[in-house]
Amino acid sequence: MRRIVAAFAMFSALLFATAIPTAYAHFQLLYTPEAALNESRALPLALVFSHPFNNGYTMDMGEPEAFYVIGQRGAGAERTKTDLLQYLEPVTWSGVDSRAAAFVAHPPRRVTRSLGDYTYVLRPSPYYEEPEDKYIQQITKTVINVGGLPGSWDEPLGLPVEIVPLDKPYANWVGGVFRAVILADGRPVPHAEIEIEYLNHEPLIDQLRFDPEGKVTAPQGSFITLSIRANAQGEVTIGLPKAGWWGICALDLDDGLEYNGKELSLDAVLWIHATDMVK
Amino acid sequence: MNRRFALFLLPLAGMVQLAYAHNPICDCYDNGDNTITCEGGFSDGGTAVGVAMRIFDEAGKVLIEGVMSDQSDFTFTKPDGNFRVEFEAGAGHVIQIDSRDIEE
Repeated sequence: MRRIVAAFAMFSALLFATAIPTAYAHFQLLYTPEAALNESRALPLALVFSHPFNNGYTMDMGEPEAFYVIGQRGAGAERTKTDLLQYLEPVTWSGVDSRAAAFVAHPPRRVTRSLGDYTYVLRPSPYYEEPEDKYIQQITKTVINVGGLPGSWDEPLGLPVEIVPLDKPYANWVGGVFRAVILADGRPVPHAEIEIEYLNHEPLIDQLRFDPEGKVTAPQGSFITLSIRANAQGEVTIGLPKAGWWGICALDLDDGLEYNGKELSLDAVLWIHATDMVK
Repeated sequence: MNRRFALFLLPLAGMVQLAYAHNPICDCYDNGDNTITCEGGFSDGGTAVGVAMRIFDEAGKVLIEGVMSDQSDFTFTKPDGNFRVEFEAGAGHVIQIDSRDIEE
């Protein structure tokens, strides 16, 4: 019996070791340190294509196709769009065992000077994923708020694929849940494949690297990337057990796309923030 | 948050809930051209269109009076000396901002 257990353990270890590289999810980071600001200030941004839970392999980013922020002061107010491409600075970002092309940006305070919601939108150039012989493009949104005056954080922006919040992405207590709808071409995607990762290694923008010290440890590979499905209405609900940023990625939302003669997986990413209840 | 503080003046405790449910929000910034712009709204995303705005000097004298515009903002010429901005949207919906807390 002991021999069978040992053989099973070896087999499991081998399976685990070979499965790990594909078990980790690629996530386009669109990071800024704070999500809910009492007062306006200049906000630094880091655009990195990586594996946020385990500070894993960081991938080269090409020149983004679009990078802008939509501001809205009040729920019914007019939206303002500010192009941020001019603020992009190409950098080399260090992951735990890799260095890759990434971008940082330091837009001036006037970009986020008004009260309200600001939705940063990044459309990166497609990334060639050699092991799968296909391209990945993750259209990414990060929503922050200044002063507590909300805008239309719950409305779609008309992107080809996007995750539309049902809860404010910047105002979530730890222990609560966050809900959203997955859209492709403006329509909900039933049973969409979803991956969720906690930003375990805080990006240190000034040092162009992730904090090597993670906040939590996964007990097993399944906990690094949480893989779930949207329901029949294309809605997803996730729990928020830890303060910080959480990334939600809806995979391959538009079938039949090609780029450079190869399959293109068009994904939607949304970053949301959870905050501890403290006095 | 030190630049904004709401004065909750309602005498009835039951009505305070209403004030908290739709907190007034106001913030001001210096445009750098001798004018100040204040923006306002409510925590449910509601507009502050028509909300009364008053600018007081340190002695409490009203220097400027007006209302929030269709865009829920109010721009005024910067008075000499220190002043106080008051966003007055009714009982329990008052915010005061000291000029020394207004930045460019």
